[in-house]
Amino acid sequence: MTQAYHQLVKRLLDGELSLSDLPPELRAEGAEALRLLGAVDRTPVLLPLQLDARVMAEVRRRARSPVRRAWRRLVEPRDVELRLRVRPWVVWGGALAAAATVALLLAWPPASPGGTRLVRTAASDSVYVRFVLYAPGAQRVAVAGTFNQWDQNAARLVRLGADGIWTITLALPQGQHQYAFVVDGKRWVPDPAAPGIDDGFGRRNSVVAVTAHGARTL
Amino acid sequence: MGLREQATDGEVVHAVLAGDVEQYAVLVHRYRDRYARFAARMLGSLDAAEDAVQDALVRAFDQLAQCREPDKFAGWLFLILRNRCFAERRRQTREGRGLEDRDEAVAGPDRPDGNVEQVERTRALEQALVKLTPEQREVFVLKHVEGLAYEEIATMTGATVASLKMRMHRAYDRLRELLKEHS
Amino acid sequence: MRRAALALAIASSGALHLAAQQPDVAARLNGRVPAEVVPAVAGVAASAASRGLPVEPLIQKAIEGGAKGRPAQQVIAAVRALADQLGAASGALRSGGFDHPDADLVEGGAYALGAGLSVRQVQHLARASRPPYEPALTLRVAGTLKALGVPPKNTLDLVEGLINAGGSPSELLDLPSEVQAGVAHGETPAQAADGLARAAAHAPGSGPPGGVPPGQAKGHGNPHKP
Repeated sequence: MTQAYHQLVKRLLDGELSLSDLPPELRAEGAEALRLLGAVDRTPVLLPLQLDARVMAEVRRRARSPVRRAWRRLVEPRDVELRLRVRPWVVWGGALAAAATVALLLAWPPASPGGTRLVRTAASDSVYVRFVLYAPGAQRVAVAGTFNQWDQNAARLVRLGADGIWTITLALPQGQHQYAFVVDGKRWVPDPAAPGIDDGFGRRNSVVAVTAHGARTL
Repeated sequence: MGLREQATDGEVVHAVLAGDVEQYAVLVHRYRDRYARFAARMLGSLDAAEDAVQDALVRAFDQLAQCREPDKFAGWLFLILRNRCFAERRRQTREGRGLEDRDEAVAGPDRPDGNVEQVERTRALEQALVKLTPEQREVFVLKHVEGLAYEEIATMTGATVASLKMRMHRAYDRLRELLKEHS
Repeated sequence: MRRAALALAIASSGALHLAAQQPDVAARLNGRVPAEVVPAVAGVAASAASRGLPVEPLIQKAIEGGAKGRPAQQVIAAVRALADQLGAASGALRSGGFDHPDADLVEGGAYALGAGLSVRQVQHLARASRPPYEPALTLRVAGTLKALGVPPKNTLDLVEGLINAGGSPSELLDLPSEVQAGVAHGETPAQAADGLARAAAHAPGSGPPGGVPPGQAKGHGNPHKP
């Protein structure tokens, strides 16, 4: 088992120290470590010129077909909220949810551009946190938790377009909070991407840690 | 094409969302190569990097309405690309494929021929890098290949400086171990 | 018979007195929980208050159960279990050197105990949390790590490791996410926690007083130019 680098050598690698800052007995190890870094290949990578044309061809195709665009969003893995990631949440069979979505697509107008602008300011010790849930067949989605007395009427999510994505932005104080989504007023669903804790009723609550950097579940 | 090359990212994004889809080519042109090296290092292959960048640019178009700060399109695109790289890595792991089958071209056709020993050390390091976890590899690439400071990496990825340092230091030890095995 | 009646009269007046001190419990719960839950929880709350335990978490747990439509007996049982945990946490903290643990700390301790940490572990973590770390937060983070599947020893090593390395309270809060990220990439919770703990033991703290920012080491240039 190879020994770990000394802490000072790691700081050398990080660029916080120079070799001459190390005590003499560590300089050999430091030099070895620097040789490692010296082997890093920093050659720029240039992608083929045809990439632009391929991207734009695909972009045009998608722009022409709103139904097809929405369908692709439905079937592809979701990374909608890049900080608070939510996995596709399927309570009913996928086919049923898909059929419900198609029905919605025919009935709803196309998604309007310009999503909610998230302003993440730490006013006093509150941070704006955006909750997102993918629930294409739902009629009503809320988030309830320790921050709103588990009141499912206090924080109703808004449906974004016709793709089954529900969202809300709340100002939460820093710290750890428990919550769950409430679908159609009766089904309590923990966030599949968040740590879960026993709620004392045989189910699970999700836990979100709100820091000055924003919220982290995953 | 009517390109407005001096337009800010925010102006271009709003134009595209308003219906002028062709303006998206400005963003494609502007950012196509910026993260190519990062993607190549993360995925170990030029072909995979090309796919990932292409896919990320298309996905960024798909989700353009959800870009919270259009003037920081680059950072947002980076996150999409980064997630795409992680997803690709997860897929490869599920399929039992390592990144070891990298093609030599990832180093770039213009790389000057160093001495044999240097070339060999570079190759050994590349092979060791693909054995790191994706998050260790990411912080190593962003700092030592892309030359970013921890604070910049923290802003781009949403991780904290301390946790980035934790990952990096684990990476250093792991690389030392892997390279010792190799030699 | 008379003695029993006297005892009953004394007990009733005592209970009435306590109940009179807790009118807000019933007011908070009426309409939000099944009817039979209200007096049961009021009783548990009164008992908790008499032992110096925080009452608010009990009310919140009852409200949560009511909001989730749980059966009355389940709500009452959950509130009782929480009261027990609060009592255990309070006892653990007092005997662990905290003479007057505040409500937040007791709640944090109850959370950690509920997640499966032991009394001794709760005491240890609370004592390890000197400023700027709040023991209540440390206990909540530790409880969440345990809930994620990190074994207790690894949990303690990780939390203490970060504290000793001078990580910020925000970074403490981030630990469950870091572990979960490791799990998502194929590590076990123990492995993920171990790796983070080892790195924390070697990593410099973030922004120690008078520390040198990266890349600005004492006038020397980048020591590792290619």
